[in-house]
Amino acid sequence: MKPDQPKIVCQDVSKTFTQRFGKVTIPVLESIDLAVEENEFLVIVGPGQCGKTTLLRIMAGLETPSTGRVSLDGAPVTGPGPDRGLVFQKYMLFPWRTVVGNVEMGPKLRGVPKAERREIAGHYIKLVGLEGFEKAYPHQLSGGMKQRVGIARAYANNPKVMLLDEPFGQLDAQTRYLMEQETVRIWEAEKRTVIFVTNNIDEAIYLGDRIITMEGKLPGRLKSTYQVTLPRPREHMDVEFLELRHQITEETELLL
Amino acid sequence: MDPEARQRESRLLKILPYLSLVAFFVFWQLLVDTGIVPRVLLATPSEVGKLFIAKLTQAQPDGAVLWIHTVVSLGEAIVGYLLALIIGIPLGLLMGWFVVAEGLARPLFEMIRPIPPVAWIPLAIFWFGIGMSGKVFIIWACAVVPCVINAYTGVRMTNPTLIQMARTYGASDWQIFTRICIPSALPMVFGGLQIALALAWTTLVAAELIASDTGLGFLINMGRRLLRPDMIVLGMLMVGLTGFGIGILIDWIEKKLTAGLERGGSAS
Amino acid sequence: MSSQAEATLGLNPRVYQSGLGARLWSFFHNRYVLYGLSVIGFLAIWHWAALHSSIAKFLPTPAEVWTEMVRLSGDRLAGKTLWGHLWASLRRVLIGFAIGLAVGVPLGLFMALNKYVNAVVKPVFDLIKPMPPISWISLSILWFGIGEESKVFIIVVGAFVPALINSYNGIRLVDPALYDAIRMLGGNRRQELLQVTFPAGFPALFAGFQIALSVAWGCVLAAELVGARSGMGYIIILGMKVFNPAMIIGGMVVIALVAGMLSLLLNKVEKVICPWKRELPQ
Repeated sequence: MKPDQPKIVCQDVSKTFTQRFGKVTIPVLESIDLAVEENEFLVIVGPGQCGKTTLLRIMAGLETPSTGRVSLDGAPVTGPGPDRGLVFQKYMLFPWRTVVGNVEMGPKLRGVPKAERREIAGHYIKLVGLEGFEKAYPHQLSGGMKQRVGIARAYANNPKVMLLDEPFGQLDAQTRYLMEQETVRIWEAEKRTVIFVTNNIDEAIYLGDRIITMEGKLPGRLKSTYQVTLPRPREHMDVEFLELRHQITEETELLL
Repeated sequence: MDPEARQRESRLLKILPYLSLVAFFVFWQLLVDTGIVPRVLLATPSEVGKLFIAKLTQAQPDGAVLWIHTVVSLGEAIVGYLLALIIGIPLGLLMGWFVVAEGLARPLFEMIRPIPPVAWIPLAIFWFGIGMSGKVFIIWACAVVPCVINAYTGVRMTNPTLIQMARTYGASDWQIFTRICIPSALPMVFGGLQIALALAWTTLVAAELIASDTGLGFLINMGRRLLRPDMIVLGMLMVGLTGFGIGILIDWIEKKLTAGLERGGSAS
Repeated sequence: MSSQAEATLGLNPRVYQSGLGARLWSFFHNRYVLYGLSVIGFLAIWHWAALHSSIAKFLPTPAEVWTEMVRLSGDRLAGKTLWGHLWASLRRVLIGFAIGLAVGVPLGLFMALNKYVNAVVKPVFDLIKPMPPISWISLSILWFGIGEESKVFIIVVGAFVPALINSYNGIRLVDPALYDAIRMLGGNRRQELLQVTFPAGFPALFAGFQIALSVAWGCVLAAELVGARSGMGYIIILGMKVFNPAMIIGGMVVIALVAGMLSLLLNKVEKVICPWKRELPQ
């Protein structure tokens, strides 16, 4: 693998959903061309119903593109797998398993022996700041804590890419800010290529190395790209931050 | 799967249920016609059908036309059921809101609750005899339980914010009870009605099986005594059909009365 | 003031009043005091009615019910003591319950997992479902006689319906995104079933068990009322036939206690097996 080859590439990806045996077609994505570099933190911003979740699911392998292809490290993505870690908006933790049970699920499915997978799980639980909560059940945790488990669970498979689908959408504003900070901390501790989907411009600027905006209507298309070079940790009230925010808001007409 | 294959699969899945039902009846008919199951033990669907038509007008061999049996059963069930509603729902509602009501009524209720409905039958017959009042008592005793429970739960689940809001307007206990708790408990109450109905119907059939001289349960029992499995099956089918029909009726009534209210107990 | 309002506002203006009147009022508005009064009042009224009212000859006193129950625990009725009859009923319930589950749960599972099985089985099931299990008694006795088999058959019919329904719904209503999650973690089809389908569907399944057990208990009694020589149903109908109301009521007390204990037992088991919060299928 050449060091300067992009990690994930989407080539001319489009997606059309059909209903009633092909009589009704809903175009959701059109002509998506995207290349994400290794360890880059890419944020895709768009309003609701613009196709960004579908794009993420295609990259995860949960949906197949109608045209075009997605490749990871040069190899085409054909289905879901642990080399891509997915963090869901609705957490999707297994309610019958404890925190450690959830985090170690990936290694367990691969047949990793118990002692080893406990260690792996323990490492990531510590990384996301949930040490001490190993034996808790999801219903006993707050929203922010649940999402930390979601992140740890995805990390535990040592994925090449982390895909996050509006992961903080269910949280209140305060917790959301806290989780954004935690995300940066975790990412800097264990760098991965990240593709983060959100509808919140502030969040995008706080987190991303690069921001891509999407059209506000279907079929979803990529609009503009912004490079964010501000040093981390970023301040929401910094002049450059606010300028960029103003720029993106104007362009997308997204209300915050 | 491509759209064409999907369409074929969908069509197949649509006709399979009908095919299955037809196959079921054919299998049943053949079981008896070919002699695998003796005719004394099982009647064929065609025999049941013939009996159905015959009993629309004939009182033989059990003493009454099919219509009469059904009406008698329904009548007893409805009377007992209505009595259960009239007593159970207000009681449950009151118990949910007023401590005095709950404190006094609960122990008695908790004693009645675990008694399986059929267990009331011997006591009811002992006290009231075989006639209608005995059956009504049995139905009342078992239908009142889900009515109370659901009414009680419905009131307990009232949105506390609504109550607080009413208090800030200076509403009295009674006003809050009638204007807020009761309407918001309606969906649960209807759920209780459905449960109570199903219970009332099955218990009635049991009671009639044991001691009665008319009614669908009696018909089923007579079928056994006279070794007429066609009567038994006819009775069973009529019981099932009638119960099903009443359930649909209650659904319809509920939709009419609660149009606009959310399910789940809170009026918002 | 009502308990609801107390709970939400913590305000009870009468508490701020003093004096004997207010204290008495508080005392009588205590739930447990009222329970106690209610029980005592009930027993007292029962006792009085059994001795002095116009229905006295139909009503035994509480004490008489108790002595009858004690007597039946020692004396043999048709060859068994009260406990022997209880065991006879319980045995039938357990066997029928086990068979009903063994048939209903896997069938519900296949129906939920396979569209074709569903299309074939569901219409026949929907035909059978509205017929109360008790209505099968006549056929059952015709086929199996008055022995154990006819009773167990009714219990099987009664238990299998809720077992199937809950198994079917429990599995059908598992959040499909959970399957996304496990596939992203690398799960194959078999692992999907084992690690998601079963655990996710289990709470609903267990609720089905609870319903099936209480239905089974009702079915065994009904079957015993129609024709039996042992069992709790036999006891209460015998009490009716020999004009011994104390036997009837005593029998009903035992029946109610057992039903209550069975349901309590299952609740405890559920808390152990499913410590996570149960999501009720709609």
